[in-house]
Amino acid sequence: MFFFILTNNNSNKMFFLFILFFSTLISISSNSWFGCWIGLEINLLSFIPLISNSKNLLSVETSLKYFLTQSLASINFLFMILIKFSLLKNFDMNNIISIMMNSSLLMKMGSAPFHFWFPNIVEGLSWMNNFMLMTWQKISPMILLSYYFNKNFLIFMIIMNLIIGSLGGLNQTSLRKLLAFSSINNLGWMIFSIMISENLWLFYFLIYSMMIFMMISLFFLMNMYFMNQLFINNMNFFIKLNLLINFLSLGGLPPFMGFMPKWIIINFLLINKFYFLTFIFMMTSLIIIYYYIRIIYSSFMFNYFKMKWVNLLMKNNMSLINLSSFISISSMILSTFIFM
Amino acid sequence: MLIYDIRFLFIYMFFVGNLIFVSKNKHLLVVLLSLEFIVLSIFFFFLVLLMFIDYDMYMLMVFLVFSVCEGSLGLSILVSMIRSHGNDYFQSFSML
Repeated sequence: MFFFILTNNNSNKMFFLFILFFSTLISISSNSWFGCWIGLEINLLSFIPLISNSKNLLSVETSLKYFLTQSLASINFLFMILIKFSLLKNFDMNNIISIMMNSSLLMKMGSAPFHFWFPNIVEGLSWMNNFMLMTWQKISPMILLSYYFNKNFLIFMIIMNLIIGSLGGLNQTSLRKLLAFSSINNLGWMIFSIMISENLWLFYFLIYSMMIFMMISLFFLMNMYFMNQLFINNMNFFIKLNLLINFLSLGGLPPFMGFMPKWIIINFLLINKFYFLTFIFMMTSLIIIYYYIRIIYSSFMFNYFKMKWVNLLMKNNMSLINLSSFISISSMILSTFIFM
Repeated sequence: MLIYDIRFLFIYMFFVGNLIFVSKNKHLLVVLLSLEFIVLSIFFFFLVLLMFIDYDMYMLMVFLVFSVCEGSLGLSILVSMIRSHGNDYFQSFSML
């Protein structure tokens, strides 16, 4: 990604990217809630130039929708911070103020029921901007959520996230919207993991962002935005295998990398007797794996005509694809060396 | 509306601002104006809060700087939209 930025004479993108990284650090390491709000504002201010750089109608509309939802959420967040400060409710987390603050943070993340902007905006961005939106922009609202959350409200939001993320992706043909709904579903898992412990959330988030990075870099290199592009051109066998492995890993099937964080969360759920929540987690994961397998089944199993006008220059840099497949398969064992 | 406490005024302004933000408008500029109205209500609230606890007003200035930045960002997006679509009507959204 940085190679792409450096070769296109886009030095202003590097500048805004640096400020984006810095804003998250400001937000999560501040002493007061006001500092958190400042970090969120700088996040918005530096992400908008990153996404509104091209001169077509779609990017203007995308940046406008992003700006409106995010600024409303952060202004509401500040108002609730002031009310919390004036009523001196710093430790009482079972009231309407914590619900309002959590709602504004959930709107910033794109979690249900405030998720309606998220698939629209993801449809309008390029793959690298989508990667930033799906991974980095979730860090600071999540950590702020862990500082002052209302447990019952968040469990209800988690259930909504899981159901909307799984059912919303069933009728999609655009790969970006598919990954957007999958991201909403994984947000449910991540919010629950941050309620357990921040270390577990970090584990889940790192593995999720690594999986998303592998998928998005594959789609970016092949310039694929829609599902029919996956099975119209007859790709190399290793690319199809990598796609299969990455999709199944994202869905959480056992020998792959994506199973490990979900396994730990299910372990926690069952030990602490959250049986209904376990049921919801399992069933929605099943629906998600259904629509992943629907895609890769037709791409992987069938042999299509090789069109002469589609020129996929993937013969030279296959090592990166093989490396990412290897990481996805063997990470279950390797990750125990890092985190355990 | 009977006001027994000054806090009701802030909450009223805040809710009215939010109501205009989410209402169906013809122009985008109305939405941006409602955002500035919410910022005004937060400014007022911040001022009264800081006066009651006898703080200095530095935090208020920092808040003002950031909200002005955000307002100008909104206006620049409005300008970009007018340059590409020709107007700022909401009906011209047809892509997403």
